[in-house]
Amino acid sequence: MPRPFFIFLHTVIAIAIFTSLFSGLRIATISHSELLVLAPILPSGHVHFWHMLSACIITLTAISYVFYKNNDITPNKYTYYHTWVNRFGYFSVLGCVITGWSVYFNITQFQTQTLHLISSFLIGCYLLLHSWIYFLQLGKKLIKRVFFIPLKQLPWFLSIGLILASIGTYHMAQNTYISLNVVPIGANVLMEIDGLADEPIWQEAQSINVHTIGGANFVDGQTTVTIKALSNKHETFFLFTWADPTHSLSHLPIEKVSTGWKVVENGFYEFDEQSHYEDKFAVMLSKTCNSGADGTAHLGKTPFHDKPSNWHGKGYHASVDNKVRDLWHWKAVRTNDMILADDNFIGPLTKVLSGQRRYSAGYLPDGKESGAYVMNWLWYSPNGVIPKRLPKDALYEGDIIPWFGSKPYKKDDDHYPIGTRLPSVLYRSNRFEGDRADVRARGQWKNGQWTLELVRKNMTPSVHDVALEHGTCMWVSAFDHSQIAHTRHNLAISLKYIL
Amino acid sequence: MKNRLLISFLLLSVIVGYCLIALPTQKSHMHPRYIKISAEGKPLKPWQGPWACVYDKEKQLLWEIKTDNESIHDGYWTYSWYQNQKGVANFGDCYFESNRCDTADLLRHTNENGLCGVQTWRLPSSEELASLVEPPSRPGNTHIAHDFFLHIQHGDYWSSEQTNKLSKHFNQFKEGAKSVNFHTGTSMTLPYRNAAFVMLVSSVTDLPTSQVSGRDTLITTPKEINK
Repeated sequence: MPRPFFIFLHTVIAIAIFTSLFSGLRIATISHSELLVLAPILPSGHVHFWHMLSACIITLTAISYVFYKNNDITPNKYTYYHTWVNRFGYFSVLGCVITGWSVYFNITQFQTQTLHLISSFLIGCYLLLHSWIYFLQLGKKLIKRVFFIPLKQLPWFLSIGLILASIGTYHMAQNTYISLNVVPIGANVLMEIDGLADEPIWQEAQSINVHTIGGANFVDGQTTVTIKALSNKHETFFLFTWADPTHSLSHLPIEKVSTGWKVVENGFYEFDEQSHYEDKFAVMLSKTCNSGADGTAHLGKTPFHDKPSNWHGKGYHASVDNKVRDLWHWKAVRTNDMILADDNFIGPLTKVLSGQRRYSAGYLPDGKESGAYVMNWLWYSPNGVIPKRLPKDALYEGDIIPWFGSKPYKKDDDHYPIGTRLPSVLYRSNRFEGDRADVRARGQWKNGQWTLELVRKNMTPSVHDVALEHGTCMWVSAFDHSQIAHTRHNLAISLKYIL
Repeated sequence: MKNRLLISFLLLSVIVGYCLIALPTQKSHMHPRYIKISAEGKPLKPWQGPWACVYDKEKQLLWEIKTDNESIHDGYWTYSWYQNQKGVANFGDCYFESNRCDTADLLRHTNENGLCGVQTWRLPSSEELASLVEPPSRPGNTHIAHDFFLHIQHGDYWSSEQTNKLSKHFNQFKEGAKSVNFHTGTSMTLPYRNAAFVMLVSSVTDLPTSQVSGRDTLITTPKEINK
């Protein structure tokens, strides 16, 4: 291989590998909290873009290198050590490229995400064995030898071709979708939103499987979501099923202790509860279909430097392009008995409120006219709380406390023995009213599987909703008793209406 | 070779040291205008709570904060306008009076209890109420800083300004009092008999300076639930 082209390829792949490694480690911090120790040296913000672009560059550069290496007749001038280290490097990069694209294209349900992380660590080892040893051997000479590109001798045609091909590959990857055919049904077909999916018409709908990864508490952090969709002229019905071994309805219960009452939690103070939380399911809709949750995932503790840091160090959702993404958030305790999913949205960065400890960036609920659930404490403190209300029936057992089945807390009425647990969710009314109640949903858990039926009007008057129509893109996430640690997938699901 | 090993070690130490010390800490920022005040009258930090009043530094006013605990300060209670034998008594809805409620009832109870250590509570002027109006910071919220003013309803709040002539379909009631609507952020005159919400105010110039210690949270038991 001509030396200038080798130096060019080496420089490009070195930059791409460092970019990919650091952006990938940042993405891995979402599912692997132990990696947060590296957070200060990892990039923040829209790192999915850099990870994808660098992946395209690495893939094509590696292919180019293999092509040139096969046609290279010059004798091997590496030492025995570097020959074997380079072979280890080729193996690690190849492993990372294959597992990375498998994760992106949702190809296999095998633990490719874990293998991808392991192969990235192997690349880290390779960089030490390769670059650091060269640095020890050559010192300052290394810079001239590796990074000085004689521009006159550079094969410009091939170099520019490689860069353009990388950008082209990135756009091809971005424009690859999973298609979901939305089966047309008549307006007279009766559908009951009960989470049973016993309407015969569901049998006629095509289903797709979307393998989602990286969620807390699921087996290996993964679950496959099966999706079906039906639509008449006015509404679209969705059926989601996913495996969840635990039926989690204990949502931040409050427990009587010797000093009063305390919230039973494991991470709630940092808004990342992963033990005592309800199961949830989220659906995001957008008119565009890009990776990284359509560009709304901004990772890191402070991805926006003029806005507050988040408490868990993982990141925010926000639409920096000012477009609205619709977000339906079904909650097994807080909204399931309302037969609703919480209709939320991801919009531009919202105003910082100095009186609120949690900043949610662009993630907000749609407006409502009335109705809500509230938490059954006057004020949350990790040290203890005072309940807002106590059930009228001291032996009450339920996952929520109805407002009119309870009475305001009074110390004189608090005769509960130590160890008593009460629900923390109070229903002020039996449903939201207004924009926030646009999505009807009901889920049922049976034999380790959730079945969720959901319906929304194709068009709503709300400026915070995205129309359900041909080409609308969708993403899904499951939560197994976790507050924010949801599963995810990269490829968008494109809705194909046949009406 | 020794120098290169030393440089490598120093570089690694800098990276490890940076990782250990560079994690940003969370800091609250004072609101330019409002301070939370505990039920005992002590100022709180922006992330502390619960709070029973809010002090407006700009206007030197102390505002009652509404609750959802069915106490006299519950934000769902409504009141007819009634002051010094003027207006219409007992046309609002609340649980704390055997009859129905009016503004004088809330004032009497609040001053008796000395909310936030103050016994000079009164109805606000319409100008004072209107000074709280600001665009909603979240979809569907009221026109007020909802991170400080809790349980504010999408409805009318009474001011102290009476004997205002009523217009349009309220003509038959002749006169009423001014109110501010936090759903629309606008003011209008309503008949005294209307059931509207109330947020009391007190003119306070000497705010206690000792702040409640602790991080961002504390637990205090409001008087009403000690019984």
